[in-house]
Amino acid sequence: MKRVLAIFMIVVATVVLPATVKASGDNQEEINPQEIIFHHLGDAYGWEVPFSHEYRIPLPIIVNDNAGKWHVFSSARLSEGGTFADGGAEYKIATGGDYSGKVVQVLADGSEYRPCDISITKDVCALFIASLLVAWMAFALVRFYKKNGMKAPRRGMGAAEMLVDFIYTGVLKDSLKEKAPKYAGYLLTVFFLIFFMNLLGLIVIFPGGANLTGNIAVTLVLAVCTFVITNVKGNKHYWKDIFWPDVPLWLKFPLPIMPLIEVFGMFTKPAALCIRLFANMMGGHMIVIVLTLLIFIFAKFGAAVLSVTTVVSMAFSLFMLLLDVLISFIQAYVFTMLSTLFISLAVCGGGEEEKKVTA
Amino acid sequence: MELFTPDFGLVFWMFVTVVVMCVILGKFAWPYIIKSMGDRADLIDKGVLYAQEAKEQLDNAKSEADKFILEAKKQQSEILREAARMKAQIIEEAKEAASVEAQKVMDAAKVAIEQERKEAELQFRNEVSSFAIRIAEKLLRERMADNKAQSQLVEKLLDEIETKN
Repeated sequence: MKRVLAIFMIVVATVVLPATVKASGDNQEEINPQEIIFHHLGDAYGWEVPFSHEYRIPLPIIVNDNAGKWHVFSSARLSEGGTFADGGAEYKIATGGDYSGKVVQVLADGSEYRPCDISITKDVCALFIASLLVAWMAFALVRFYKKNGMKAPRRGMGAAEMLVDFIYTGVLKDSLKEKAPKYAGYLLTVFFLIFFMNLLGLIVIFPGGANLTGNIAVTLVLAVCTFVITNVKGNKHYWKDIFWPDVPLWLKFPLPIMPLIEVFGMFTKPAALCIRLFANMMGGHMIVIVLTLLIFIFAKFGAAVLSVTTVVSMAFSLFMLLLDVLISFIQAYVFTMLSTLFISLAVCGGGEEEKKVTA
Repeated sequence: MELFTPDFGLVFWMFVTVVVMCVILGKFAWPYIIKSMGDRADLIDKGVLYAQEAKEQLDNAKSEADKFILEAKKQQSEILREAARMKAQIIEEAKEAASVEAQKVMDAAKVAIEQERKEAELQFRNEVSSFAIRIAEKLLRERMADNKAQSQLVEKLLDEIETKN
């Protein structure tokens, strides 16, 4: 029965879907894949709902105008390229130029001024949702322990506990030893934030769909946090390793070759963290979108090609999405593991033998 | 390339969120979760250790009980042997005591019998002598019925006395 259903679904997919695509594609202009891809990967002032390009969930826009005054208004007021005047300042979403897609202030002389913009955009909203989910998960566990004492949590809570344990004992305890509890607050939070943001990004409709960890701003902040902790908490041994490493004297004395490389390494390590997460997640999203777009690109070559493309690209995007679930976990894990490693090298070095890291 | 230039708004909110989350979760959630998991692991470890010890004790108790039983059996047989020995000894002693007692009784009886015999002998002799005297009296009376005979006897006796002297 299940097999019959599966075959039926495939037949429907090959026959019906191309037909609808054809029907909807006929009276539309040529599609622009690049624009669509970047539209999906980028940020927005409203949150799209399924099956509608017009209606978006409005989100608050918070801007500081050129006079230093704060303005808060709904993004619905700027939809469809409209302008909105709030207390003498006129705003619109730029359609071209340097600030394309961003809220800009239209000055009296007609020029565009980009205000300081801390709007709750789609990405920020998704970030809040992910944070709330993480907090909800963590406090659900805490509540469970408070209520049930020494009992072990089951099902979802058990999975959450297993993840915490996996990261804490498997990663933090191994590298940081007795200092693990001190950095657990940051590292566990970062792991779960990244993990939840990754997974939410894979859900296509409302609570998800924002390409958060595939946005360089997000990964940059995370990497900077790791960088700051590493260098602020770095001990004597860490700094000695940077400025006076254990290498032959000629490598560091008249010309500080090794110290230069080490100082450079200080920055490349978190930069690698930032780029790795960003590129992985953005790449995953991009591949899925491109595979889906293939259907529309091949639509003009006739029904037969369209059918085949539909099935193939759907199968591939399904596979890629499943792979992305795995990548979501792996990238969150890798980010946490490397952050732990960098921090442990900075705070635990000296006493014991140090591990050589090539990250 | 909008994707590669970090947007200030998002950086700002991301930073705020990360800091707030780290502070809240790092203070109230993770330490408690980690502590609870550690406590539970300790409890389980303790339980396992306890169970192992209990099992060991049980095994020990079994062997100990066996040892006790063996000991008890040994003691039992020893006691039985001792009892048998004592029984034999008591019988022996009793026999000895009985024989001594019997000897005593026999000795006493012997003494009594001897005395009886002596008394009887004495009595018998007295009686015999009294019989003899009576007989002699009777005989004498018969024979001495006449004076002649009497004087004859006196004569004779005197003679005898004379000859003896």
